[in-house]
Amino acid sequence: MANMKIKAKIKGDVLKCKVQATHEMMTYNAAKKKGVEANFITHMSAKVGEKTVLDVSTSQFLSKNPILKFQAKANGIKKGDKIEVTWTDKSGKTVTESKKVK
Amino acid sequence: MERRKFLGLSLAAVALVPASLSAIDFRETKPDAWTAKTVDDAIKALYGDIKPEESGIKLNVPKIASNGGAVPVKVKSDIAMKSLTILQDANPEAAVATYTLTEDSIVDLSVKIKMGKSGSITIIGEGQDGKFYKASKKLEVALGGCEG
Repeated sequence: MANMKIKAKIKGDVLKCKVQATHEMMTYNAAKKKGVEANFITHMSAKVGEKTVLDVSTSQFLSKNPILKFQAKANGIKKGDKIEVTWTDKSGKTVTESKKVK
Repeated sequence: MERRKFLGLSLAAVALVPASLSAIDFRETKPDAWTAKTVDDAIKALYGDIKPEESGIKLNVPKIASNGGAVPVKVKSDIAMKSLTILQDANPEAAVATYTLTEDSIVDLSVKIKMGKSGSITIIGEGQDGKFYKASKKLEVALGGCEG
């Protein structure tokens, strides 16, 4: 199953990205009701080559299957480069996926 | 067998890299901020005793969110930021997300968050110039989304 959808585009000198992670984002409250362990994405980062374009620490209050949009100056990033997105959740699961910048 | 092992090892290596590269993992460096019940406490835990300017950040949220499970939050600013935090006062804990930004980042972020009930969203930005900026907006939530 796909863990995330990534879209990255160069427009002029700006890199525009959109990431949707497939994740339940179970809050403590909801988990208590269902009798399961709370689990949510705690950290997400995106890199192009060695350059970090996104770095975010998150709590349980992102929506289910959260979508994040962000931008960065292109500074050397060109079409065809690979963007690599990684997220880690509370259970310690780490997922990395990459996609070509369009 | 050997190949399997190698693949597993390289995957583990890839997984470890971002953690070491990221400037600050706020969940590890500031654990108090994520359990703080109020916005003020969370700000204190994250940045200390600060007096943010109420300008510089443009926050865009709907006046009435029909679905509290996914409230769109858009943040824009022309100021170069070191970090930016999204907080709200409708859920049991205040902190939602903290971005670590670099000089290459453009502050034009959009994310969907959960709101248990009507409340206000607060953004605190830490500028590269060392100043703090704040933006805050109230919104009504028609259907709470925190209970999933």
